[in-house]
Amino acid sequence: MPQEKDLKTILSRLRYTDDAKVVAQITEQMKQVQARMAGIKHKLVIMSGKGGVGKSMTTVNLALALARQQARVGLLDVDLNGPCVPRMLGLHGRSLTMTPEGAVPPVGPLGVKVASMDFFLDAASPVRWKGPMDVSPVWLGLMEMNVIREFLADVVWGELDYLLADLPPGAAADKPPVIAGFIPDLAGAIVVTTPSEVASDVVQKSVTYARDMGIKVLGIVENMSEYRCPSCGELNELFEGNTEAMCEALDLPLLGRIPFDRTLARTFDKGKPLLDEAYPTIQRYQDIAGRIRTLLDYKRVLAEQL
Amino acid sequence: MKFVCLNCETYMNFEKVEKPGEGSLGVFFGCPSCGAKFSMVTNPGETQMVSSLGVQLGGRSAQAQPFEMTRGTLKEEAQAGSGQMAAYLNEKIHGGQPVSAPSAPGKTGDKAGGGCPFSAMVAEMGLTSGGKPANGGTGNPEFTWTPDAKEKLDRLPAFVKPMVQSSVEAFAGKHGYQTITLQVMDDSKNDSPNGMSWTPEAQQRLDNIPDFIRPMARKEIERLAKERGAATITAQVMDDAKDKFMKFM
Repeated sequence: MPQEKDLKTILSRLRYTDDAKVVAQITEQMKQVQARMAGIKHKLVIMSGKGGVGKSMTTVNLALALARQQARVGLLDVDLNGPCVPRMLGLHGRSLTMTPEGAVPPVGPLGVKVASMDFFLDAASPVRWKGPMDVSPVWLGLMEMNVIREFLADVVWGELDYLLADLPPGAAADKPPVIAGFIPDLAGAIVVTTPSEVASDVVQKSVTYARDMGIKVLGIVENMSEYRCPSCGELNELFEGNTEAMCEALDLPLLGRIPFDRTLARTFDKGKPLLDEAYPTIQRYQDIAGRIRTLLDYKRVLAEQL
Repeated sequence: MKFVCLNCETYMNFEKVEKPGEGSLGVFFGCPSCGAKFSMVTNPGETQMVSSLGVQLGGRSAQAQPFEMTRGTLKEEAQAGSGQMAAYLNEKIHGGQPVSAPSAPGKTGDKAGGGCPFSAMVAEMGLTSGGKPANGGTGNPEFTWTPDAKEKLDRLPAFVKPMVQSSVEAFAGKHGYQTITLQVMDDSKNDSPNGMSWTPEAQQRLDNIPDFIRPMARKEIERLAKERGAATITAQVMDDAKDKFMKFM
């Protein structure tokens, strides 16, 4: 009987080569992401542990608010399975233009450039992948991360002041914080919550997890703080929560409060967003955008005011 | 993945990839020493794994097109339906019969009926289903809360209260307080997780900047102090921080 060979000894004498060129290609992919993101000054993610708190509405309105402040803005809709940003901005049915230099994004209101999975889908089609993803979330996860990698690497954003990424919901060891970690030189995360205690409880966990991942959380936006009556304009509370207490406990600033505004929401639902800067709820987004800009430029503020 | 020719004690070389069938790859290797050939055939899952990486085994002959993988992997409307792996598994496991619905879950507390598969582990760890220690308790018995401090704590939302309570008690323990008063609660807010203390003058200067920048400013200044080996934030540390930030202007 032949003597069994010791694999450990054999391998110690051999030099590994990447002759299938897998490592080289993955390295090249990462370089491509770095190169594409290099022209963007501030990259921000908008996240929340909880679904349905209005992340997309917040992201879209912050992008518009920054654009009103003369910034060049891109908006990346990373919610692959529920993309809604194009519809909100009246871009549903448009698509990315494929060129040898990359995919050129359509331009929405106020010059905001938009990339979304929605541009690859037919009217009512959900995202369906070829292959065995239907039985394994492991394959699905790998697939989706690489689709996001393509969104980061292949979209021709050009020079931007801000890129806002609207992340899907999720609190911990699922996609959002991992996606955020994928973006090179990420400036930070804006976390959206509602005053609901259920939402705040989950959001709190997502902040903790994001921090564990080394993501700088810039602050919290409280959405649906109140309800603005479309008849008389009076504001009434929707939930009995305490976002301020949560912010204090998490040592984070509350960047602003946005009321649930039926009039504004309907315009986005119809893809004809209200853009009037003087409208009260839009003014609140303007204020939050201003605070975010100050936060990103905090060193200058501290030099002047400390 | 690499293969070793055990006869020659050397790595086999990657040679080529073929597609012997839908959802399958044939990856060929050869021993550079004895010339032995070897082919690995992947199943649909393994093929998908390679495809999901957005790489081509053996390297690319042409540059990748924008969204090559996304566009190449999205299923067209006509192709919608159960995937090939699902069909394969259904055939193997259920003989092609529809999968029956899972039996109704047992009532709460019905341990014998199965219940949560992790319940034994959770019990072993001494945790309740909520993840809290099983012995519960409303607070650390080492500390006495004055009625007004307790009332302030109780006014906090339930999801914030445990975090604030443990943070105030940790502060009290660190400073040797056994009774938690409103003053201790207020002081604990200014306590730094880095173990730094702030002089009143430094604190006043921090309070002069906009409130939404304050948490970040506090962290930055404490980081600077730590770098310089200071345990207390004084007016001098604030001046140093200001000088440092001036350099970014």
